[in-house]
Amino acid sequence: MNSSTKKWLFLKASSFLLIPLMIWFIFNLVSVFDKDYVEVVSFFSKQPSKLLVSLLLVFSYFFSALSISEVFEDYIQNKKIKNAANKSLNIFAIIMPLLTIIIIFNLKT
Amino acid sequence: MDNKNPLSPHIQIYRWHISSLVSITHRITGIINITAITIICFWIASLLLGESNYELTKVFLQSIFGKFIILSLTWSFSFQILSEIRHLIMDLGYGFETKITNITGLLVIFGSFISTILIYLT
Repeated sequence: MNSSTKKWLFLKASSFLLIPLMIWFIFNLVSVFDKDYVEVVSFFSKQPSKLLVSLLLVFSYFFSALSISEVFEDYIQNKKIKNAANKSLNIFAIIMPLLTIIIIFNLKT
Repeated sequence: MDNKNPLSPHIQIYRWHISSLVSITHRITGIINITAITIICFWIASLLLGESNYELTKVFLQSIFGKFIILSLTWSFSFQILSEIRHLIMDLGYGFETKITNITGLLVIFGSFISTILIYLT
């Protein structure tokens, strides 16, 4: 399979999975954002929030990295700059969700 | 070595249509959402500092400005969700006629505001 086709399929699959996760998250964010410390920690550290927030982070960063790399493809002509931008983007898209998931799994109520 | 592939024309050369408005807003909300998710990651990380250090964050989130940010974020997420659904439907080969594109574009724009109000009120 062509790499562009593969990229497009990954983009669409992650977009499809993100829709229910985003709906769930925004409803919960609105109800939890202004609560006390204990309630906020309890939200992030209990199931199913723990799992769903982790999935949301993984798919969001994966989807964003693929989407932003398309913008780089559209607007950056220099190959070296484009590669550096894509590498930085991919590192960021791996480290941010990974660290946050580790933190979520270490939160204690 | 420079790539000889043509670049996309910059947005200012296009005449504005509903579909172009939805398309550029989709990109802008995408950037807003991933920035917001990154801030949420820092918010989650700040929870490790304990209850005594959370007071300032709580005061900020309970302020009018904090509530406005969450309301704006609700709209940004709503827009992205509806626009993604529109994209997925178009990927299946439906809704390419100009009239349908305009209708679905308007549905995304107005739907995002309506769903923001509904989410915030529930």
